[in-house]
Amino acid sequence: MELLEGEKEVIVNYVEGILEEFDPVQENLVPILQEVQERLGYIPALAMEMIATALDLPPVDVYGPATFYNQFRLVPPGKYQFKVCMGTACYMAGGQIALDSFERRLNIKEGETTPDREFGLEHVTCVGCCTLAPVVMVGDQVEGHVTPTRVDGILLAYDAITDEKENEGDK
Amino acid sequence: MNSTAIENNYNKLKARAEKNLGSLENKTVIWVGTATCGRAAGAVEIKKFFEEELQNNDLEAQVLETGCMGHCYADPMAIISKPGFPPLCYGYLDEGLVKRLVQDFIKGDDPCYEYALVALEPNDIFPTFEDFPRGLHEEKIILEHCGFIDPEQIDHYLATDGYAALARALMMGPDKIMEEINNSNLRGRGGAGFPAGLKWEATKKAEGDIKYVICNADEGDPGAFMDRSILESDPHLVLEGMIICAYAVGASKGYFYIRSEYPQAIKQLKRSIKQANEMGLLGKSILGSGFDFDLEVFVGAGAFVCGEGSALINSMEGKMGMPEHKPPRLAVQGFRNRPTALNNVKTLCYVPYIISKGADWFNSIGTPGNPGTAVFALAGKVANAGIVEVPMGTTLRHLIFEVGEGIPRDKAFKAVQIGGPSGGCLPESALDIPIDFDSLQEAGAIMGSGGMVVLDEDDCMVRIARFFLTFTQQESCGKCTFCRLGTKHMLDILTAITRGEGEMESLELLSELSEDIKVGSLCNLGKTAPNPILTTLRYFYDEYKAHIEEKRCPALMCPELIAYFIAPQKCSKLCNVCVGSCPVEAIYNRDDGLKAIDQEKCVKCDNCLKACPTDYNAVIKVSPPHLVKEMEEAM
Amino acid sequence: MSEKITITIDGKEITTDTEKKLLWVALDNDIYIPNLCAIREEERPYAGCRLCFVEIEGLEEPVTSCTQPVTEGMVVKTRTPQVDRLVKTSFELLLSDHRLQCNKCPKNKACELQKIARERKLKLKSKRIKHLERTFQIDDSPESFALDPSRCVLCNRCVWVDRNVAKAGCLGFSYRGINRIITTFNNVELTKSACTQCTLCVEACPVGALYFKE
Repeated sequence: MELLEGEKEVIVNYVEGILEEFDPVQENLVPILQEVQERLGYIPALAMEMIATALDLPPVDVYGPATFYNQFRLVPPGKYQFKVCMGTACYMAGGQIALDSFERRLNIKEGETTPDREFGLEHVTCVGCCTLAPVVMVGDQVEGHVTPTRVDGILLAYDAITDEKENEGDK
Repeated sequence: MNSTAIENNYNKLKARAEKNLGSLENKTVIWVGTATCGRAAGAVEIKKFFEEELQNNDLEAQVLETGCMGHCYADPMAIISKPGFPPLCYGYLDEGLVKRLVQDFIKGDDPCYEYALVALEPNDIFPTFEDFPRGLHEEKIILEHCGFIDPEQIDHYLATDGYAALARALMMGPDKIMEEINNSNLRGRGGAGFPAGLKWEATKKAEGDIKYVICNADEGDPGAFMDRSILESDPHLVLEGMIICAYAVGASKGYFYIRSEYPQAIKQLKRSIKQANEMGLLGKSILGSGFDFDLEVFVGAGAFVCGEGSALINSMEGKMGMPEHKPPRLAVQGFRNRPTALNNVKTLCYVPYIISKGADWFNSIGTPGNPGTAVFALAGKVANAGIVEVPMGTTLRHLIFEVGEGIPRDKAFKAVQIGGPSGGCLPESALDIPIDFDSLQEAGAIMGSGGMVVLDEDDCMVRIARFFLTFTQQESCGKCTFCRLGTKHMLDILTAITRGEGEMESLELLSELSEDIKVGSLCNLGKTAPNPILTTLRYFYDEYKAHIEEKRCPALMCPELIAYFIAPQKCSKLCNVCVGSCPVEAIYNRDDGLKAIDQEKCVKCDNCLKACPTDYNAVIKVSPPHLVKEMEEAM
Repeated sequence: MSEKITITIDGKEITTDTEKKLLWVALDNDIYIPNLCAIREEERPYAGCRLCFVEIEGLEEPVTSCTQPVTEGMVVKTRTPQVDRLVKTSFELLLSDHRLQCNKCPKNKACELQKIARERKLKLKSKRIKHLERTFQIDDSPESFALDPSRCVLCNRCVWVDRNVAKAGCLGFSYRGINRIITTFNNVELTKSACTQCTLCVEACPVGALYFKE
C-alpha cells in the first residue's frame, strides 16, 4: 500500500511517541502494536519497521505477530467499522444472514473497506451479549437482534445507503 | 508475620468501608445493571432517564451502577431499594417505565408490583428468588455479589466481607492455604478440571526465586460470557483469589490476561487494581504482612489458541501465540521461563470462599470428586438466557428446563452444545446426566469453561458442527500438521455436506480424521477440535444422512438446501409486507395480486418469513428446494 | 549430568545417555523414524510435523519421538498399527497441500517426502484425502535459488537456520492456520529483504520449497 502525502510524517510522529512510552523489550510488542492501532487505526509497514528497530528484533518478527492475531489490521479501516458477531448464539440466530446483508448493501466482502474508506466490515468472535443475538457492533455500540431490515436501518443511520429504496416504495 | 497487625489493618479498612456505605442506609437507592449485557440493551440511557426524572421531580435518591445479576434476558434491569419496602428488581426497562417507577414508587409509595420481577429480601408481599424454580436450583457462591454491589467501589466489596479471606490467608501462611486448597478438591474451571491444588503445589515446589501467577481471562469460547460478567460485576473477588494464590505459591508478580474484546472488563480490572494498591491490599507488605505482590493487566490481541498455556506465554513474550510441546509444564517453566501458576477466572473466585468457609464446606456442595458449583453462560433457544450457577451434579434437564425455563415459542428441544469448539452437542437422551467434569466427558462433550448453547428443532446439527470447525480452522495456529490441515479438510467435507454435495464415504473419512487429529495434534485446540463432529455424528447421524442422500436439511437451515415459497391460498392481496421486507427484490406481485418469490433472486435471508403477518403465515420453507416446483405445479 | 542407560527399540538393545531425545538415538542407530521438523541442536523441539510417532511400553497413546527423553529400560516400537495409522494420516495431510510434480522438482530423489514414502511404503497421492488447490507466488529473485511456498511443509528448518546459524533475521512465519506461510518482512521479495543469499536455508529445506535454480 502506497502512503499518501503527509501520512508518512504522521506515522513517524505517532510511533516515535508511542515507543517512548514503553521499555524497548520484546515483551512489549503486543501492547505497542495495540497502541499503534489505537492511534492510527491500523499498523502500517513503516510502523512495524520502526518498532523492530526500537526492540532490536528482525522486522519479520514484528510482521509475524501482527499478522497472527485477530485484533491487528494491516490496512486502514473504514471510518465506521461494522463488526458482525459470529459467536455460537449469534451464528445460530442469523449472524451469517446479517453479515450477508451488510456485504450486499455495502458491496464489499468481510474484511474489506469501502473504496472511500467510510465503512469497513468484519466479523468478531463473541462480544458476550449472547442474549441479544444476533448482534453487530458499530464502534463501541452494540446493536441487538439484527435482521436484514435492521441492517438497512443501521446503514441508513450512518448514511451508508441512501433511502432510495424507501422512496421507490412511495411511488 | 504479624497476625494482629494484619487483622487490625483489615478491620480498619472494613470499618471505613462500612462507614462510607452507611450513608446509603435509610435512603432510596436505584441500582442499574450496567455490565456489557445491560449496556447493550440500553442500561446507560436507563440510568440517565432515572437521573433526569429524579431531578425533574426534585427527588432525593441515589442512582448507582451495578454489574450483572445473571438474568440477562430481562435487561435492562434495575433494583430499587426504598426504606419501608423490600429491595425490588425490575426488568425490561424503558423510558416510560422509568418515569412511572419514579412517579409512583419513588415519589409515591406504589411499588408497581405488576412490573417487579422479584424481591431480594424475604418479605410478606412479594416473592423472592427462592420462590421460583430457578432459585430452587441455583446456588450462588462466586456469583453471590454479581449485580448487587457497585463494582467500581472497593468499599462495596469490603463491606460484604471482601478481602477478609485474604487477611485470613496471610495469617494462615502458605502451607496451611495449600492444605485447605488441596482438601477442597477444587478443580480448575478453565475446561479440563485439573486439580487446582496440584497445579499450585507444583509451582510452589518448583525451583526459582521469582515466580508468577497469571489469570486467564481470555474467554475465547464463542458463546461464553461468564468470565466477562464476573470481571465486570465483582472484580475484587478475582483479585482477592489471585493475591491468595500468589501468596500460597510464592509469586511476587501477577498478570491478568484478558481479551481486547472486553473493554468494559479491562477498565474495571485496571480500576480495581489501582484501588487495591491504594488500600494496601496490593503492592508492598500487603496488610502489613511483609508479603509483596504486584498485579498488571495484559490485553490479549485475539487468538483462541492462547487458551493453551504455552501459547498464552508466547504471546505475553511478544511472539506469535504458538503452543509448545509439554513438558515442561508452566508450573516449572512458564512466563520468562520461571515457574508460573495459570488459573481461570472462576477457579480463583472460589479461593476466597474456600479460605473463609473451609474445605469441608466446599466439599459439602456438589458431588464427590466434583465439589462446588458450575457456572454457565446459558444462551441460544432458552427462555431465561443469562449467567447461572448450580451445584455440580445438577442434571442438564433441570438446568435447561427449570433454571432456563425451557425452549421459547413452543419449539422442541433438540440439543445442547456444551464447551464450545472443544465440546459437543448432547441430545435429549443425555439430558439426565449430571453436570460434572467426568460425566460430560463420558458423553462426548466437555465441561469447558462454561458456554452452553441450547438448540431447538430449527437448528441444523451438521451446520453447527460446520460452524465450530470454521471457528477452529480459523483459530488454528497452523504449527502442527493435524490441526492446520486436518481441520481444513474436515471443514471442506462438512461444507460439501451442507451444500448437498456430500457423499456417504466422506462420513467415514470424517470419523477417521477426527480420531487421528484427537491423538496426533500438538495441543488441546487440535485434540478437541473434532469433538463437535464426533458428537453430532454419534447422536445425529440421521441428519448427516438426510443432507447427503436426500439433499435435505431436516431443520430447514442450510441455505443451499432450502427454498421459500408463498402459499397462494394463505397470501392476501391486501398485504404487501413481504415485498418491502425482501432485501433483493425477489418477491413480486402476481397478476392476481398475490405474492410470489423469484427463486433465482432469493438469497434465503428469512426476512419475508419473519415479516409475513401471523394472520397469514403464508411464507413456507421447504427442503429439498425442488419441492417448490412440485408445490407450484400442484396449485 | 548424563548417565549411560540401555533402551530397546524394535527389539534392538541400545546403550545411550539420558540427555538425548529418542528420535536421535534411533536415527543414530540406523533405525529410521520419519521426521521433517526435527533439529538436533535445538533444545526445545518444534514438534510440528507430527510424523515421528512411536509407541512406548506403558504409555497409552503414541508419542512424538523428537520430544521424548530416553529413560533406562524404555521399550520402544517404531511400527505398530496405531503408529502407522497416525503417520499415514499426517503424511497424507501434508501431501494434500504439497504441489506434486516430482519430475519437475529440483529436489526429485533428494526429497524427504519421497524418502518417507519409500521407507513406510506410503503413496504420494492419497486416495481418500482431496488435494487442496492453492496458488502461490514463486520468489525467484535471488541469483542462485528460489522459494516456492506451494511445496513448503512449514517445518521451520529454514527459519531456524536463518536465526541460529546465518543470523540474518530474514525468514519467519506469518499469518496462521491454513494461511500460515514462510515469508520475509511484509512479504517482499527475498532480494529486497534482509536476505544475505548465504543459501544455508536452501540446504536446510527437506523438500523442494527452497531450491537451487540449476
